[in-house]
Amino acid sequence: MDSETTTLLQGTLDLLILKSLVTGERHGLGVSRRIHQITGQTFHVKPGSLFPALHRMEEEGWISSFWGESENNRRAKYYRLTKAGRKQLEAETKRWGRISWAIAQALETA
Amino acid sequence: MPLHTKARSFFRNLFSVRRQEEDLDREVREHLEMLADENIRAGMPPEAARRAARMELGGVEMVKEQVRDERMGQWIRSVFSDCRYGARQLRKNPGTTAIMVFTLALAIGATTAIFSVVYGVLLRPLPYAEPDRIMAIFEVNTRGTWSRLADPNFDDFRDQNHSFQAIAKYTDTIASVSGASQPTRTVVASITPDFFKVFGVQPIIGREFSADEAKKGAAPVVLASYGYWKQYLGASRDLSRSHLKIDNEDYSVIGVLPDGFQFPSDVGLWVPADLGGENRSRTSHNYSAVGRLRDGVSIAQANADISAIARRIHDTSSEQNDYLLMDGAVVPLQDSITGKARPALLILLGAVGFLLLVACANVANLLLAQASVRERELAVRSALGAARGRLIRQFLTEAFLLSLLGGGFGILGAYAGVAGLVGLAPENLPRLESVSISMPVLAFALLLSTAVAAGLGAFTAVRATSGDLRKALVEGGRGQASSQGGQRIGRMIVAAQIAITLVLVIGAGLLGRSLMKVLEVNPGFRVDKIVTMDISLPWVEDPKAKASQGIFFSKLLERLKQIPGVRNVGATSGLPMDGGLPEGMFMLMTQNEVPKDFAGFEPLVRQKQRIGNADFCVATDGYFQVLGIPLIQGRLFDERDGADSPHVAVISQSLAHDRWPGQDPIGHTIEFGNMDGDLRLLTIVGIVGDVHEYGLDAPPRPTVYVNLFQRPSAAITVTMLSDANTQLVTSAARGILQELNPEVPARFRTFSQIYSASLGSRKFNLILIGFFGIAALLLATAGVFGVMAYSVSRRTREIGVRVALGAGSGDVLRMILGQGLGTILIGIVIGFAGSLALTRTVESLLFGVTATDPVTFAGVILLLVAVGLLACYIPARRATRVDPLVALRYE
Repeated sequence: MDSETTTLLQGTLDLLILKSLVTGERHGLGVSRRIHQITGQTFHVKPGSLFPALHRMEEEGWISSFWGESENNRRAKYYRLTKAGRKQLEAETKRWGRISWAIAQALETA
Repeated sequence: MPLHTKARSFFRNLFSVRRQEEDLDREVREHLEMLADENIRAGMPPEAARRAARMELGGVEMVKEQVRDERMGQWIRSVFSDCRYGARQLRKNPGTTAIMVFTLALAIGATTAIFSVVYGVLLRPLPYAEPDRIMAIFEVNTRGTWSRLADPNFDDFRDQNHSFQAIAKYTDTIASVSGASQPTRTVVASITPDFFKVFGVQPIIGREFSADEAKKGAAPVVLASYGYWKQYLGASRDLSRSHLKIDNEDYSVIGVLPDGFQFPSDVGLWVPADLGGENRSRTSHNYSAVGRLRDGVSIAQANADISAIARRIHDTSSEQNDYLLMDGAVVPLQDSITGKARPALLILLGAVGFLLLVACANVANLLLAQASVRERELAVRSALGAARGRLIRQFLTEAFLLSLLGGGFGILGAYAGVAGLVGLAPENLPRLESVSISMPVLAFALLLSTAVAAGLGAFTAVRATSGDLRKALVEGGRGQASSQGGQRIGRMIVAAQIAITLVLVIGAGLLGRSLMKVLEVNPGFRVDKIVTMDISLPWVEDPKAKASQGIFFSKLLERLKQIPGVRNVGATSGLPMDGGLPEGMFMLMTQNEVPKDFAGFEPLVRQKQRIGNADFCVATDGYFQVLGIPLIQGRLFDERDGADSPHVAVISQSLAHDRWPGQDPIGHTIEFGNMDGDLRLLTIVGIVGDVHEYGLDAPPRPTVYVNLFQRPSAAITVTMLSDANTQLVTSAARGILQELNPEVPARFRTFSQIYSASLGSRKFNLILIGFFGIAALLLATAGVFGVMAYSVSRRTREIGVRVALGAGSGDVLRMILGQGLGTILIGIVIGFAGSLALTRTVESLLFGVTATDPVTFAGVILLLVAVGLLACYIPARRATRVDPLVALRYE
């Protein structure tokens, strides 16, 4: 909570969630913490954005959910990537690569 | 993205709401606990850890709502919940709801039923290929009258035009047909070869006739309609042995047309038109004509084309008289079939639209009254954060529920209504068979209901949510200011209702007075106790064959007179109000002026003083007696007038006046051979009273009557004046005909049937507009009553104060009635102006009254004021009984 909150770009939240689930299934808090970690403490996803995104992505079929036990014996809803989710991640990664490359180019040529 | 996953989520969202909600709630709560756990592990005291967790989460309910918003089908769920809420509102006031639904059902049902007739008759495309390319073609003569085509003119149109890919002439007659399973009177159309090409149809069995088979002297062939083939030809696919006797002539059946092809209407058989050769006259208009436009040719181009040919004919023809064409006209076939019915149907549609408006106004008023009761509820919802848009949506949803309910019942009602309309419709309404509740009509009803819903919903929503809702809350739901605005609107609506109702009732009044005026007309004949029998013998030209038909008729009439109860028997070639008589040009001439042949007539035709115009009617002396047509001068036909004695004629009074003004026509001789091919002169022996041949609302036409026994006509109607039971007379007459000639089919009717059918369209229009007028009047009365009763209940306290300060019950009564009268009068003034502008559209349906008939206007205005005041009186009476003590404690 000490990190600055950077506003997420439209569409990047999905990418980050998908990415955070590559290494295995996680519950909501786990996803949030993982994103915090892999973005070098840049992004902190609040539950108000996280849960709607998770539910939407589940409806899209990219992730699936099940009830499991958390580390300290709480029942928690876990999410994991589906096949469609992996494909989506690939596509999103490529797209993001193109965008960031293009933006970097633009900034350099100036 | 897999569609089935989406669909699964969609349905889960809609239907397993509870489990989903539980899941969501648990997930978010667990999340909160885990956050707290985390904080505790980081060393926070439990209390602070929990608070920090809650801070980070930002509210369990809010997160849940955000998730719900994200779900698929969310909007549907909120619509469902609006609907549930709306339905609850409607159930809360079952009485009002029932009234509103009934009102809407009545109006939507009536509108849908009328629209189904308008659609079936006027709009539904004709059931042929590319029907908008099929045109009807007419001649236009020097007087501007449109008529059918003369043979040589048709030939010129056909050969010289550049606009039509196919063009054909046709006419139809009722003929006696035998040789099939039973002798019938069947509509037989005579057509030229391209007829079926114009309509884009081909025989389903057999073939069309060739150009050679259509020429003079060819072996007669006939094509059958699908219906005739099924019913009378045993639906046999082998036509080689099918022969029919049409008017005693032998025809081979060579083809059958597809099911549903029926042109001209009711046709059973088609035969080639010119087997007997063409009529060389350019002024004998015996055929209608149709054509299919070439691709890319517009109607205007076709008109110009035909027009040019017509003018060329006019300029070069030797037959220069009033009947010669001087122009041509091309109109879409559909318009030419339905043209006459169009104005009346559109007027009916307009009238029912007015009824719909009055009904909607009533419902709007009821909804407004409800909304003002709900002001407090709205204020609470608004205070709890409901956006205005959300409240408006709620009103729209309720209006939609109402309108769809009303529309649903209305469509059910329309099914019954259409059946009733078709039964009620006059026989001469074309295309009645295509009137039904079809898909386009249903779509119309749905659209109408939706439009009504949108209108009502938007109106009430904007009205109800426009005030300052918080003020309503402060005033404890008894907001005087906004409710006074509401009442003003209510009164405006009622004034509008009165205005529209006035227009409708005045329209109905004008039609009603027209019918009364029509019924006052003396038709010139008796109607009741007359049984008629239509028979047609084969058409013959040979004088001997004709004479034997005359003998047959005289035998038949003699035998019919013997039927017990039959007082007198006559016969005619055409009954009044039953389709009309042929009209033609006769010539005054003496015996030694008669030319040898038709060519000799041409120079005489140009001598105007010889020419007269009249309807040509074949009759017996008994016909005048049976119908009670009075003899005014001279004598009727009698025994002196045998087949070989000099031919005689009786003329109608108006002809005597017009053609022989100030003279005695008796003893004059006329030539009228162009009607029946008999060139013998006719000596005028008598004058009879005028007959309204074409209906009571049409002036009587000059008529020449000739003697059936001297000039037999193949198709006649026998009239029997009888005191006996119609059934008995009919079966006796049928037996006698059977005995004399079993090959001749007959049709029996009563003259009063024919007579009342002639008033059919007038009654139809009057019944419908009258019904709409009465319905509108009742609705408007209810509207006045509702608004006044509401106003009185709102003003209870004020009235109490007035009474406490000394106002008498007369004062209160006057005050309330005065207020009501004000509203009514505003409506009357607007309606009066509207009527002046709109009744002109019904002018074509009126008879004997003008569109601004002062009697009707005054009567209807008085009626409306009286009914309106009566509606105000009950609430006003209630106001006078207000007890000031109770009223002041009322709040």
